[in-house]
Amino acid sequence: MTLQARRISKAYGVQRVLDKLDLSIEAGEVVCLLGPNGAGKTTLIRLLSGLQKADSGEVLWGTQDGNLSVLTLRRSIGLILHQPFLYEHLTGFENLRFYSRLYETGLSDADLRKMLGRVGLGSARPIPVRGYSRGMKQRLTIARALLCDPQILLFDEPYTGLDQQGCGMLNQLLLEEGARDKLVLLTTHELSSIRQVATRFDLLHRGKIAASIPNDGMSLDALQDQYNAVIAAGKSLQKEQA
Amino acid sequence: MKAWLHSVRVLVWKDLLQEWRSRDILTSMLAFAVLSLFIFNYALELSPINRAEIAPGVIWVVMVFAGTLGLNRSFTAEQDQGCFEGLMMAVPDLSAIYFAKLLTNLLMMVFLAVLVIPIYSLLYNQSLFNQAFFGVLILGAWGYSAAGTLIASMTVQTRMRDLLLPVLLFPLLLPVNMAVVKSCGVILGSVAGQDIHGWLNLLLVYDIVVTILSIMVFEYVIQE
Repeated sequence: MTLQARRISKAYGVQRVLDKLDLSIEAGEVVCLLGPNGAGKTTLIRLLSGLQKADSGEVLWGTQDGNLSVLTLRRSIGLILHQPFLYEHLTGFENLRFYSRLYETGLSDADLRKMLGRVGLGSARPIPVRGYSRGMKQRLTIARALLCDPQILLFDEPYTGLDQQGCGMLNQLLLEEGARDKLVLLTTHELSSIRQVATRFDLLHRGKIAASIPNDGMSLDALQDQYNAVIAAGKSLQKEQA
Repeated sequence: MKAWLHSVRVLVWKDLLQEWRSRDILTSMLAFAVLSLFIFNYALELSPINRAEIAPGVIWVVMVFAGTLGLNRSFTAEQDQGCFEGLMMAVPDLSAIYFAKLLTNLLMMVFLAVLVIPIYSLLYNQSLFNQAFFGVLILGAWGYSAAGTLIASMTVQTRMRDLLLPVLLFPLLLPVNMAVVKSCGVILGSVAGQDIHGWLNLLLVYDIVVTILSIMVFEYVIQE
């Protein structure tokens, strides 16, 4: 599985969010998209998932058999956005069973309980999701996203609401999925957590990938410095142009 | 096709389970329907002869208005928790979402009819237990749900959804309203000298055409 995004642009009214952005990701890579609020990270994830259309440019998801159609592509993606996609009146297990049947995964109830255990909800009481804490909902969302054993993982702020143990659990899952040649793209501001699993950091600034930094075991401070330098360079350029 | 039917079945089951737990839609629909019947009962002090004439109109008006409350809420769960996007990622064909919602809304309307008819019979002292009458109501409910589900999927994405849904939907329902009320009038014997077949044909054609058209355009409606 490979991703090729070529010159994608997206604007909301007069505000241009993505500006001829190019991005390429190979299977097995865990790419972390970094950028300040409003940089266009969520928009990019939505465009890549096929939920939104770009104003111009093209997104190609390739397999050995050629490029995927939108509907086939959607069912190959494990997606996490800001909203959890969970039904509040159903229990965590019922939510997973519903999505499992919709995806036709063929998972048994025991498999689904194992999945709940994998995200640390194995011993959670069988109460409707509306009684869950933010962190529990996020754990369930992660289980929901991994349910169909997707080839592509697009996670927007997956660490939101997770405690330290939860962050560790997510890192472990990402490492496992990356090792299984999955293609992973995620956004986060939790640099200390993602530093342990990302293979590459792409810095999104002013609608473009401003820098691409391979994770060669750099320290958190070094990563933070590079991030700040890119943002500062963008701002000074913006001032010059103004 | 098999995958599509499977998705529809799973989605309808989820909607019914969700409704059974929350009772959001049924409670509001039933409360509105019962209150409306009471108000009609006191507002229209009718002789036994006139009662037969207004029965189809009163029943259908109550069902349409109460049904609008249900339609408004039918997409709320999907919209509030972002589940709509979750479904779009999971189904093999987006039209399965529409058809499942149509079936759920239709079931709600049938359930409403099952409760409204005895209450009406009790309040107005007029028996409406007639299979043909019930059959026409179901055909009308199908057309209503087919058009209503499509319009609700559009308006749920707007801030003024409560207002927009009836404004957009009711003009589209004109053929259904006429066909249901006239057909029921003939069946109950309050309208003489009219051919029921023409009205039933109109109802059937409306149901089929609106359902097919909605399935065809639903994908564009939710993606734009």
